[in-house]
Amino acid sequence: MTAGREQLVSVEDLHVEFHTDAGVVKAVDGVSWSISPGETLGIVGESGSGKSVSALALMGLLQKPQAKIRGRVLFRGRDLLAAGEDEMRSLRGNDISMIFQDPLSALNPVFKVGHQVAEVIQAHEKIGRIPARKRAVELLAEVGIPNPRQRAQEYPHQYSGGMRQRAMIAMALALDPALLLADEPTTALDVTVQAQIMSLLGKLQEERGTAIVLITHDLGVVAGHADRVLVMYAGRLVETAGADALVHAPRHPYTLGLLSSLARLDRRRTDRLRPIPGQPPSLIHVPPGCAFHPRCAFATERCRVDVPPLTGGPGHAAACHHQDRVAEARAAVVEA
Amino acid sequence: MALLEVSGLVKHFPVTRGILFRHQIGTVKAVDGISFSVDRGETLALVGESGCGKSTTARAVLRLVEPTAGSVRFDGEELTEAGTDRLRTLRREMQIVFQDPYASLNPRQPVRTILTEPFKIHRIDPGDRVAELLALVGLAPEHEGRYPHEFSGGQRQRVGIARAIALDPKLVVCDEPVSALDVSIQAQVLNLLEDIQDRLGLAYLFIAHDLSVVRHIADRVAVMYLGAIVEEAPTDELFEFPSHPYTQALISAVPVADPRKERVRTPILLAGDVPSPLDPPSGCRFRTRCPKFALDLSEDERRRCCDEPPELVDRGTGHPAACHYAEAVAVL
Repeated sequence: MTAGREQLVSVEDLHVEFHTDAGVVKAVDGVSWSISPGETLGIVGESGSGKSVSALALMGLLQKPQAKIRGRVLFRGRDLLAAGEDEMRSLRGNDISMIFQDPLSALNPVFKVGHQVAEVIQAHEKIGRIPARKRAVELLAEVGIPNPRQRAQEYPHQYSGGMRQRAMIAMALALDPALLLADEPTTALDVTVQAQIMSLLGKLQEERGTAIVLITHDLGVVAGHADRVLVMYAGRLVETAGADALVHAPRHPYTLGLLSSLARLDRRRTDRLRPIPGQPPSLIHVPPGCAFHPRCAFATERCRVDVPPLTGGPGHAAACHHQDRVAEARAAVVEA
Repeated sequence: MALLEVSGLVKHFPVTRGILFRHQIGTVKAVDGISFSVDRGETLALVGESGCGKSTTARAVLRLVEPTAGSVRFDGEELTEAGTDRLRTLRREMQIVFQDPYASLNPRQPVRTILTEPFKIHRIDPGDRVAELLALVGLAPEHEGRYPHEFSGGQRQRVGIARAIALDPKLVVCDEPVSALDVSIQAQVLNLLEDIQDRLGLAYLFIAHDLSVVRHIADRVAVMYLGAIVEEAPTDELFEFPSHPYTQALISAVPVADPRKERVRTPILLAGDVPSPLDPPSGCRFRTRCPKFALDLSEDERRRCCDEPPELVDRGTGHPAACHYAEAVAVL
């Protein structure tokens, strides 16, 4: 994908490696994507596919000597990977924010929630303690925390899981960033709370025009909220498409496999699930050629040797030598 | 006669304060009088959100926690009155698979030892059973010498399942058996559970919060909220005609992996959080968050919700729902 002028962030050929005693872990292996203002980009993949590490690299949150990062991350024309720590510090919160899966470990247990929200504001703006506290209470009210004035005086452990995630969102959006990285924001929450949080994120996005990168393993969450979706496998991008096309006309066997292994809420059970055989590879020993070939029903000799490039149109591309056969197989299933 | 019959099951946990002068300051009503049954070869799913009491129910049924009151009959025999020895014998017939296989397998034992343990406890000669069990759950014979940390999450869960079925039980309680696994591995384990059920004819009490998984695997579903069952129905009926406002909200909140459907669905958003089980609301427990209570009911009707706990009975919707004003609504 080429980085047009309207892109807010474009990630170009991002590599992240960790050097360990057991070998080099290629957590992210040459990934490119971009996001425009106000857009929601879903990144899906299973554990260890590199989706969270990409986000951490973007935020400059990976420990430098251990993590080897290559490539470019352009934010409004600036390369974040070349930025110094001071520059990143001012960018984080102001322009890019992140919310995590587990809000309890992301909040400081010994400070009151209101104090923590106010701290974010004070770190970036010349503002007194009292007005910052006042803003914090307003923010807590905006994210739907009941009795915000009183709740601001409580500690994270006094909040429920859903309220903690609301508090995290309040902190993340305190300074109206242009981009929000949401790393499995609802995975730890119950479904009714997940629905509350996702609808809150949608509302705030509409009001503020925030671009959201939604990292998740849940294809349902992506289907409901993402405009565009990236599918990652073993540190690589295997398919990118609009949410509709991805679900209804996948072109990569891994995407097809994920969809067929999914138990469906909205259908009467007809048959057994069709899981993907085997397990995801270790990122130290990624199979040669296409990383998915040992688990793939479409694989041929070529897949064992050549790493397939991401090919297709600008709207829908897949990294598979046999994407036409995958599309045909999918069409046959839909007809039947 | 059903294989498992639970009636009026109660599990209360005392909340105490003080060290020297310990006194009780409250009671967590984790499970507050629930009844259900599981037939031979059947899968009953118990669903609900965190803290609704589903795992406590599972444990109380097996007497891994001592029930406070109520009756649990297994194969006609009252479990709550069984002595230690009798209970141990009975446990051959009822086993459990836990959510986190890493925490429930001894890290210092190889799989061979883990799988022969049940035979040792019951003084049975395992013979070739370990090899058979490994084959049954889809592991290779050479895996028997490996330790739990050498397996992936899905494989560890296979070991957990092999241990549970080692003694040919009639009932296996599955407490969130696939929640910790990735989707593609989840499907493998779900298929395995079904294969085993077909081959051995065992019954599952399947505890889960993932409604999509439940729709796939269960024959019947019971929905729990704050320690009580609020609705129970055969699986497709529950998903197509949910009659309790909580079940409706729950189903509507689960996103479906189909953007076209998602665009036209709107989740029923519940207000606030689940009330504390220390002090559940009077009357209907769900009324504090119930959209029907808040929007549709008249003052008189609401009074009934506050005063009178609704019983779990069929009010003309085809299956029991614990709501005075139960009415089937399609939300999918």
